[in-house]
Amino acid sequence: MGNLVRPFLDNEFLQRAFLAGVLVSLTCAVVGTYVVLRGMAFIGDALAHGVLPGVAGALMIGMPAMAGAAVGAAVMVGGVGLITARSKLSNDTAIGLLFIGLLALGVVMVSSADSLTGDLEAILFGQFLGVNTSDLVAQSIALGFVVVVAVVAARPFLLLCFDADLVSAMGYRATWYHRLMLLLIAATVVVSFQAVGALLVFGMLLAPAGVGALISKRIGTMMLWAALVGVVSTYVGLLASYHFSWAAGASVVLTAVTIFFVVFTGVSIRHSIVGDRS
Amino acid sequence: MEIMNHTLRKSVIACFAIGSLLTTAGCGDGDSSSSSSDRPSVVVTYSILGAVVADVVGDAADVKILMPNGIDPHEWEPSAKDIELLNQADLIVSNGLDLEGNVMEAIEAAEKDGVAVFHATDHIDVIEFGVSVHDDDEEAGHDDELGSGDPHFWTSPVEMAAVVEALGVALADIGIDTGDRAAMTKEDLLNTDQEVRDLIAAIPAESRILVTGHESLGYFAHEYEFEVVGAVIPSLSSEAEASAGDLATLKEIIADEGVSVIFTEMGTSPDVVEALAAEAKVSVVELSTHFLPEDGTYETFILQLASMISVALQP
Repeated sequence: MGNLVRPFLDNEFLQRAFLAGVLVSLTCAVVGTYVVLRGMAFIGDALAHGVLPGVAGALMIGMPAMAGAAVGAAVMVGGVGLITARSKLSNDTAIGLLFIGLLALGVVMVSSADSLTGDLEAILFGQFLGVNTSDLVAQSIALGFVVVVAVVAARPFLLLCFDADLVSAMGYRATWYHRLMLLLIAATVVVSFQAVGALLVFGMLLAPAGVGALISKRIGTMMLWAALVGVVSTYVGLLASYHFSWAAGASVVLTAVTIFFVVFTGVSIRHSIVGDRS
Repeated sequence: MEIMNHTLRKSVIACFAIGSLLTTAGCGDGDSSSSSSDRPSVVVTYSILGAVVADVVGDAADVKILMPNGIDPHEWEPSAKDIELLNQADLIVSNGLDLEGNVMEAIEAAEKDGVAVFHATDHIDVIEFGVSVHDDDEEAGHDDELGSGDPHFWTSPVEMAAVVEALGVALADIGIDTGDRAAMTKEDLLNTDQEVRDLIAAIPAESRILVTGHESLGYFAHEYEFEVVGAVIPSLSSEAEASAGDLATLKEIIADEGVSVIFTEMGTSPDVVEALAAEAKVSVVELSTHFLPEDGTYETFILQLASMISVALQP
């Protein structure tokens, strides 16, 4: 039992990392469930990496990284909206173009600034073990914002996920709620990347919510399962990082994805036995 | 489950895209001022070694530095122009031992095309990471790192002097006559070594303990009788990511050995170092271990390094 709890009791940096991981898990459980149900993973991934030039630019001129990330996210979302509205190109073409364009811009910016090279990995993979109090405060605010929006807009969001046509019929403005959902993803990514890195945010958006979608059909239950999987992954991943000296952020994501595939296998076997192939 | 399949496929495609972009990260421009002089061209991979090579070469050749000063050599990648510079060189001077991991392929290609190559670390007493430095502390080294040579020889002016002597011979071999400049540079380096010894003389033996960002001060420690007891990222390269286990071990070492300062450096996450230092109640001093100071000389580089360590460790 000592080996499972003691590392956290002895080391404040692990306590803070765990707390940050829990906050990220809860935020991502809510937002990620919408991402998975609406097939918005690509925009989530694009946001997680498209913020790079914004962050690099902010660091170069001495601005807070989070402000740069917000600008990057705004360009991403605005650009996708513009391309899909003004052309016949599909959503994922627009996302892909902006994603790769922004990422390339970020890489070029980092490479031309002599002092930023080392930060590239920090931006993408985060500094999970270097989380400080202000990161935790920002993360808590983001969680509060996400939960409030999700509760207030629960009904239109639900309709968007399961029957988009019905949204307008019920008197809601579908594009407006779609944009609100994008804002939630952007807020999650922008706030979380600094503490835990783009890789971890994206992993936590998809894997736990994926598990939720596998084992439940109700949105609230999916979110609860996602939250549970996220928190367990954070704990197990950090423990693995401690005992096996694995890179911290990657260990947590690896745990979450492993849980997904274990559950996926279990559900598949159960379906083939029961014969329920809906 | 159509949604899930769609989602996963897109993510996989996206990940490949990131991977291929990341491998081209850091294509800096280099100091490649393409002056069309008749003098032979000597290309040095990074600035610190470049400063010393320039001292040895003097006016006998054009010395060009590949990586911009201030960049992390562990991560830097050459641009097309840099590779052209390598291929047109009369002599390439590299550090070796995987320091310039991303340039070695281009250097080997140039060597096949007949460019002479001088690897500095072929001419030093290589410290095996995890063996010499940590010989009384089995925990500190990692199995996968055992036996890999430490490339950071430039933190010892004595090793640098050995390289200078060999470089003089190598230059003469390809017809670049530097007169007695190699001998003079070697003399200067050994004088600098004495200055370093004077600078650190006031540090008591029991305080000669170093905790660093990554394992970059092995040669300095070996030369001047310090002990490197741990590193935030226990790897010879700054590219590795911190793990909870390594940090927890380091925290214990800091407490056990009475360490008072963590010497951090470029490429080590400031956030992680700050978090660790706050928890272990030690101070943080940032060293420039991988780039030249403003006046661009090796002497100032090593004296600055020594004096910062000296100031931080004196009671």
